[in-house]
Amino acid sequence: MTAPTQADGTVITARGLVKRYGVLTALDGVSFEVARGEIFGILGPNGAGKTTLVEVLEGLTTPTQGSASVLGLEVTDAPTEVKRRIGVQLQASSYHQYLTLKEILELFGSFYPQHADPIELLRRVRLEDRANARMRTLSGGMQQRFSIVAALVNNPEVVFFDEPTSGLDPDARRDLWNIVREVRASGATVVLTTHYMEEAETLCDRVAFLHRGQIAALDTPQGLIRSLHAPYRVTFTTAAPLDAAVAAAIPGTRGIEQDHTPDGYVLRLRADTAPPVVSALTSMVERAGIEMVDLAVEPATLEDVFLSVTGSGLDG
Amino acid sequence: MRTLLGASVKMVIRDRQSIFWAFFFPLILLGVFRLFSPGTANTTNLLVSADTRTETGAALVQALQQVPFLNVEVRSGVSSAEANGILAQRKFNAALLVTAGPTGQPAAAELITAINDPIGSSITVAAISSVVDRVNLVLTRAPRAIELQARVSDVRRTTYFEFLAPGIIGMGLMNFATISLAASLSRYRAEGVLRRIRATPLAPWKFFASVVGAYLLVAAAQVFVLDQVARLMGANLHGGIPFMLVAVFGTLIFLNIGVIVAGKVHGRGAVEGAANAITMPMMFLSGSFFPITSLPAAIRPIVELLPLTHMLSALRGMALDGESVLDQWPALLVMAGWAVGTFVLARMTFRFDDN
Repeated sequence: MTAPTQADGTVITARGLVKRYGVLTALDGVSFEVARGEIFGILGPNGAGKTTLVEVLEGLTTPTQGSASVLGLEVTDAPTEVKRRIGVQLQASSYHQYLTLKEILELFGSFYPQHADPIELLRRVRLEDRANARMRTLSGGMQQRFSIVAALVNNPEVVFFDEPTSGLDPDARRDLWNIVREVRASGATVVLTTHYMEEAETLCDRVAFLHRGQIAALDTPQGLIRSLHAPYRVTFTTAAPLDAAVAAAIPGTRGIEQDHTPDGYVLRLRADTAPPVVSALTSMVERAGIEMVDLAVEPATLEDVFLSVTGSGLDG
Repeated sequence: MRTLLGASVKMVIRDRQSIFWAFFFPLILLGVFRLFSPGTANTTNLLVSADTRTETGAALVQALQQVPFLNVEVRSGVSSAEANGILAQRKFNAALLVTAGPTGQPAAAELITAINDPIGSSITVAAISSVVDRVNLVLTRAPRAIELQARVSDVRRTTYFEFLAPGIIGMGLMNFATISLAASLSRYRAEGVLRRIRATPLAPWKFFASVVGAYLLVAAAQVFVLDQVARLMGANLHGGIPFMLVAVFGTLIFLNIGVIVAGKVHGRGAVEGAANAITMPMMFLSGSFFPITSLPAAIRPIVELLPLTHMLSALRGMALDGESVLDQWPALLVMAGWAVGTFVLARMTFRFDDN
């Protein structure tokens, strides 16, 4: 999936969105477009403005400046019409604890002109046998699955998931990824926020890095990684120390770090291209007569991209 | 809208806290007050020290035993000092010490009551003096100028329990509406339920209308149940549909107050505390348990401002005095003012989310 080129294929347009809460600027000029049928990821650390951004698109928050349109409708002008056609899963929001799952879906369905069958919806997330259970009797993973399917009661054309897998174990997370893929397969466009790199990399067609209220980079995950100057990570372990200056002289290497571990002397570096750098390192070791313990070459990840475009990690 | 109202009703009746304030708390109060306020006045335990072998002593004791509310116990030779000691304990309310005079002289009778029971004492004193007078007349065979005849008519005075029943109904509606609505709205907000609803095309007024509608339906059920229970417990109440309509109308004021509390105060414990801080004083100041005329004159102006005061006055006018709903117009007017004022304030203060 590539960036939208045709105007009629665009379902979301954000134009210079700014949101300030007093002195705090949550969004600082955010513009992008989302094409029909995409899974669009908004990736960033906590406090980057992800939730504010999706809530502006959902019509829950009014932007201080800029505008957004969803499905061809200006969100601030026609919030009700937008809400009728989108599905929303909010971060840290819950459902009425005194109603059963079926009753909640019936209730939310009644807010829309047309709506899906509650049992059919529950079946999509394998909760049909819990139809008469109340929300608080469900496990965390079940609650997340339910909140995803509750966003689908109106057969929405665009679905927003805010941190849908936050706090889940790896199995439950993979399970939810499949559900999100099925949602897209059924014809909806998906916008999701996450602070998990792996999630963005495997699930999203395109990813926007949100950093301090601005988009730091936006592309497909592969495109983002390719854009790195040095897309490979090389880890070289030897029995005796290597001369880092000699290694740094090898063309196409950068970011050399040295370390001493129980395994031996470790040299970490990033490389533009893998084979020439690896063979240069190997011949350097042979010339010095040092025993080689280990060699690992890995492609860079979104984490490396994030580090290079923002200068900080996802935790900071 | 029907699904929404149905869901709202389910949310109220499945919430234990709501059910406590709507039914259990007022029912417990009704039961407790019924147990501790028997319909008849208390009896007076009278200690009589007299020599029943004398004509005077025998006639007096016999006459006293015929007084219905006196429980007479006869001993002999009790001194004044001993009588004081006996009264200080709980068994006797009054002591009558009769000492025979010298032959041909009148006997002396001393009646002692405790200092801290003025009303009970004056009734006892009045009853015993009339007995003593009658015994005097009989023994001296003097002619009577006036013949008094006492008769029990079929008119019933309102009992304290009957006075109490509309008070507890009104108080129950207030607690239910204010405390449980404020608590559940703040819970919905804290759990993000309100925010999630705002992300749907549902108009906020429809959400509020359904919540208010659900509370009013449960309030009507509450009035019906409490009224029936009070009748079963022996209260003779008028009422019916107009009584219920006034009660439900008053509930609207307290629902508005619940919305204001949930809008102004944040944090669940704080919301419940604030709601209690509003309803608790009103419970005692507005005459749920005692007539407001028994309150100190200094706080009467405040009492006259409170919505529950007027709601209870209208409810009692209808339930106890059999007045029509139209007779309650002064109280209804004040209530309408409160309903409008609190509605405007509720609209201004309530927010769907915390930020």
